Amino acid sequence: MEAFKLMKELKANFEQEMKYLPRESGLSLIESTTEQGKGISAKCRDAKVEDLWSLTSFFGYSTQTFVLAVNLLDRFLALMKVQPKHLACISIGCLHIAAKVVEAECDVASAHELIRIGQCKFTVSDLSRMEKIISEKLNFQFKAVTALTFLHLYHAIALSHTSHRKEILNLDKLEAQLKACLCRILFSKAKPSVLALSLLTQEIEALQSSDLLEIAQRVQRHLRISEPELQRWRGLVGQCLMQYSSPECSKPDHRKLVWIVSRRTAQNLHSSYYSVPDLPTIPEASWDESESEEWTEELSSGEESLSSSLGSDAEGPYFPAHFRKQQSA
Amino acid sequence: ILAMSSAATTPPSVDKVDGFSRKSVRKAKQKRSQSSSQFRSQGKPIELTPLPLLKDVPAQEQPDLFLKKLQQCCTVFDFMDTLSDLKMKEYKRSTLNELVDYVTVSRGYLTEQAYPEVVKMVSYNIFRTLPPSDSNEFDPEEDEPTLEASWPHLQLVYEFFIRFLESQEFQPSIAKKYIDQKFVLQLLELFDSEDPRERDYLKTVLHRIYGKFLGLRAFIRKQINNIFLRFVYETEHFNGVAELLEILGSIINGFALPLKAEHKQFLVKVLIPLHTVRSLSLFHAQLAYCIVQFLEKDPTLTEPVIRGLLKFWPKTCSQKEVMFLGELEEILDVIEPTQFVKIQEPLFKQISKCVSSPHFQVAERALYYWNNEYIMSLIEENSNVILPIMFASLYRISKEHWNPAIVALVYNVLKAFMEMNSTLFDELTATYKSDRQREKKKEKEREELWKKLEDLELKRGLRSDAIIPT
Repeated sequence: MEAFKLMKELKANFEQEMKYLPRESGLSLIESTTEQGKGISAKCRDAKVEDLWSLTSFFGYSTQTFVLAVNLLDRFLALMKVQPKHLACISIGCLHIAAKVVEAECDVASAHELIRIGQCKFTVSDLSRMEKIISEKLNFQFKAVTALTFLHLYHAIALSHTSHRKEILNLDKLEAQLKACLCRILFSKAKPSVLALSLLTQEIEALQSSDLLEIAQRVQRHLRISEPELQRWRGLVGQCLMQYSSPECSKPDHRKLVWIVSRRTAQNLHSSYYSVPDLPTIPEASWDESESEEWTEELSSGEESLSSSLGSDAEGPYFPAHFRKQQSA
Repeated sequence: ILAMSSAATTPPSVDKVDGFSRKSVRKAKQKRSQSSSQFRSQGKPIELTPLPLLKDVPAQEQPDLFLKKLQQCCTVFDFMDTLSDLKMKEYKRSTLNELVDYVTVSRGYLTEQAYPEVVKMVSYNIFRTLPPSDSNEFDPEEDEPTLEASWPHLQLVYEFFIRFLESQEFQPSIAKKYIDQKFVLQLLELFDSEDPRERDYLKTVLHRIYGKFLGLRAFIRKQINNIFLRFVYETEHFNGVAELLEILGSIINGFALPLKAEHKQFLVKVLIPLHTVRSLSLFHAQLAYCIVQFLEKDPTLTEPVIRGLLKFWPKTCSQKEVMFLGELEEILDVIEPTQFVKIQEPLFKQISKCVSSPHFQVAERALYYWNNEYIMSLIEENSNVILPIMFASLYRISKEHWNPAIVALVYNVLKAFMEMNSTLFDELTATYKSDRQREKKKEKEREELWKKLEDLELKRGLRSDAIIPT
């Protein structure tokens, strides 16, 4: 039976997952590092992961590539004390490795492209050296079991039990939510199976499906995930997702991006428009429509009423000059 | 016996722009000196009796001497003939110079009699039928203009006239008898002069006249109107558009609020259509300035202006498209958020097209909008409307554009969108991907169908030829 096979696969992955979990002490160290500190801070790491997501999206890589890249990154950072200036190279290295593992060869962007688009300051040879270091430190264990693995399995299991309501549980949405969580180092501490289950259950709660809830509980029992642990992570996931889907936009940080334009466009930007004309402004007088001699003599400054009775707003010819002459004040 | 030049008539090496040779080189002919219709060689030399210098006569005689000098300067010389009347030309030149200084520093010299003499002298010198340009082939964007031969005198006449108008003693109430509609009309015609120096002076002259003669203002505006309308709809030829627009800029700047309907009409019926002219590059800066001034005066005009620009958006001229994008950015720099919301949809639909343009300068200029902080803040506030419009183009060109620099800029824009509104971005990505997959599937099915049909046809052919048994 399909469901049985899936459950077996689930158990097998569950047993493997600790192998790919980043060292907790290492992650805690990062979390406690301040911005001014010498090592990598949580904010630093989170920002880099967001950049990785941008690149993933841009190059059309799958969520799996992204999740794997983050996993490699966290594992590496938890093991090694690195300087912030190397973080860019390390993260791009992880992305490149992940892409080579997950994506078809023709879809993998070259190192050169990655560096160019990512506006990185290091070279292609820097990158390949870094990739070697990462690979060695992680013992070439690239086929990680991640929260995404579990998410897919949970989804498949749910489907196999409720075949007539296929569309309810949206895998794409869950993947997007997982991606949002992974942008916070906090969630790298969670066991992938638990993180995935947290995402699943909070989505099920939103859908209010008792069938699906039952399935989720069955999975929980099967994997012997403790209720307090699940509740804890569900709470944190809930908070994160609220921020992710809130209408409040975060202002993009323009300083980070470099805008390089061609010489011709740059010239046009600077030289085409004039800020201040040579000619001084000529204020429009309220009675300057008049052409009659008598009018200019008789009017003292401040005859406001004339302009309202003058015909320029009336229907008729475009510049009703003689029309005005006929009007008497 | 006709002596023929034995020089080979090979054309000079031609500049190529986009594969087409430049017009100015194709012509490869001698530049004709200008022939002004005003000057006729009279045969006998002109004689003017030298007058004493103004500074050398007592104060009470000066006004009279002033008039005499003005009268002398009514004599016009032929500059086409570079050798004739040299001494007299020099005399007139130094007299004019003297008059310029006199008008600038003197007090009490401007009697009522002076006014008609001044206007007469100026009229005699400047009002003339402009020579036709070197046929229709004069391309203002590429060719050197033909300069006015009598500039040594003409310049001083203009200089003098401006100082006269600006003089503290100048009284418009007297002057308006002589500086009337007919004068203004002739002045406006001179704006078609090919000589940019002359146009520059004319610009100042007309500006001062507009400022001081309230009774002429409506007339001037109407005439400028006519000139522009003729330019746009009939001739597409007029050399003074930029200068007139500069003057208009200072007028628009001074409009009283609320704006009169006449002015709004002018904006919509004249200024916007001016954008359609082929030679836009010659006066675009000034035109854009006028437009922005209008919008700063009355923000409710934003919607008709932008809709107008979108209506006239260049479809085949990339150089113009880049100009339009520049102007649009200037407009967006001053736009009010409530106005922005009204036009954001058609606006970004056009920007989306520009961003995907195969012409890299157009794409680049459009993408650079995302480097503008104020525009970014407007986009942010309305990202749920704008992102879906932009998304498909941006995503597609990130994969397909030939120019790597453009691709890099697209990344910046996509990243900005991602950070602005992650949820929407992810949704759009997912939709885009699934749409693409569906398209690919359809394509594949279509191909297979064709293949099947081919096989079928082949088999049928073979059967009818009895190669395969039926």
